[in-house]
Amino acid sequence: MREPDLLVAYRGLLRASLQVELTYRGRLVISLLSGLFPLLLLAVWLTVTAQAGAPAGFGRADLIAYYVAAAVLFQLTSSYLAWVWDADLRSGELSARLLRPVDPFHQYLASALANRAALLALLAPVLAVVAVVVPQVRYPVTPAIVVGTALAVLLAFVLSMLMAMSFAMVGFWTTQSGSLYSLWWGLGSFASGWVAPLDLMPPWLRALAVALPFRTTIGFPVELLMGRLDGGETALGFGVGLAWAVAFALAYRVLWRRGLRRYQAVGG
Amino acid sequence: MRRYLRLLGIFWRSAVATELEYRANFVGNAVLSVFWLGWAAAGVSVYFRFTDSVGGWSYPELLVVVGLFFTMNGFQYAALSPNLERMTEYVRQGTLDFLLVRPVDAQFMVSLRYVGVYNLFDPLLGLVLAGIGLAASGRGLSPGRGLAFLLLLGTAFVLLYALTVALMALAVRLVASEGLGNLLEGVVETSRFPTQAYRAPVSTVLTVVPVAFLTTFPAQALLGRGDARLLLVAPAVAAGATVLASLAFRRSLRSYTGASA
Repeated sequence: MREPDLLVAYRGLLRASLQVELTYRGRLVISLLSGLFPLLLLAVWLTVTAQAGAPAGFGRADLIAYYVAAAVLFQLTSSYLAWVWDADLRSGELSARLLRPVDPFHQYLASALANRAALLALLAPVLAVVAVVVPQVRYPVTPAIVVGTALAVLLAFVLSMLMAMSFAMVGFWTTQSGSLYSLWWGLGSFASGWVAPLDLMPPWLRALAVALPFRTTIGFPVELLMGRLDGGETALGFGVGLAWAVAFALAYRVLWRRGLRRYQAVGG
Repeated sequence: MRRYLRLLGIFWRSAVATELEYRANFVGNAVLSVFWLGWAAAGVSVYFRFTDSVGGWSYPELLVVVGLFFTMNGFQYAALSPNLERMTEYVRQGTLDFLLVRPVDAQFMVSLRYVGVYNLFDPLLGLVLAGIGLAASGRGLSPGRGLAFLLLLGTAFVLLYALTVALMALAVRLVASEGLGNLLEGVVETSRFPTQAYRAPVSTVLTVVPVAFLTTFPAQALLGRGDARLLLVAPAVAAGATVLASLAFRRSLRSYTGASA
């Protein structure tokens, strides 16, 4: 497909996807509720710091700022595409998607982008209230940090989508692709900053996490936003994230070509 | 009563039989359950890098709560949410009409018809972790504490069921009810930690909203640090909640006018 055609296609895809999102607003509110988990972890940290003192270099205000940002990051960047693919493969919906003149990859990407845009619109007023009510939710707003964080959030979204899509391709060979992705995500959540800020993890895990793909999806953008990273660490974070994004994009492409050859439509 | 038990047996058997046709799925989900149990146990260990006790609970003691959380969560996904999820559809499409004309109690049909087979073993797995926590805590077990624990565990199941029925009553009235399942999930999710791990006023609120009854109280009973008065209070609360939820459900049916035909 030529470039201008793809842009035209995206405009249509995004508009259609956004309409779907706005029709099922209830679903959006529901996915917002999954933000409860980090807030529970935060509540327990506040109890721990009240009783045993704050960990060195990570005070109460830092904990609050971290978990609020992590909860938002999770909403904006986590990918449910492994399960959408799984369902589409089983129901034969993929056949319908294949018949459309745009590669399914772009169809899924457009729908995920529309979903996040709608979610962000819903989150913005909530965050504004939180920022007023909870004075600890403050981030050093410099132009460099704002631009850097925006880019890091975009990278987080792209990488978690590419990881989910790569795992979804395993669905051509087995019905366990959703479970496999769960395992991958679950293991990764220790290195991503989801279970706890990496600064509070054992040193060996922290060292490992810098090289793994998971930190890019939550920990790196949040640490960047909190102004905890110097220039070198920031560059390293972007480099590692980009490298993994390229690796997963290639893996997706290879698996997609091979899987498609195996694909025998269900249903229809 | 026997008729209802037989019906329940039929429902469960058919659910298991359907699932066993997809054996790879069944095994995959069992593996995943064990993984998430380990995940939950490892996740809370991070706190103990900085302290010996979270709200007065040591790591082994906290594992008892995490195990019971897994049990309650599994119970929710196996027995409660599959039915609650269908409530919206029942009301909106008028399928509820067909359930109401059957010669079986409406609440029974609506609240116990479906079973989520994926999470069938989660309650048992959770109890295994609670057992490991108990053994590691070095507190041993006496018959009295065991019985108190079983009684409070039973009231926890009943309370969660009553909450589901109350939400179903709400679903009949609201018609749009997608968020109700999340309310149930939120209550169970909050019981991942003992209420003492949260600070006042949250911890107080959680005792009133039945979160404390789900995992904190049974865990305290098992570890021998519970309040004996609870053995009377908890069953009374559970019984009261069940009666109130049933009444609310019946009243909501009176306001239901049907959507089919």
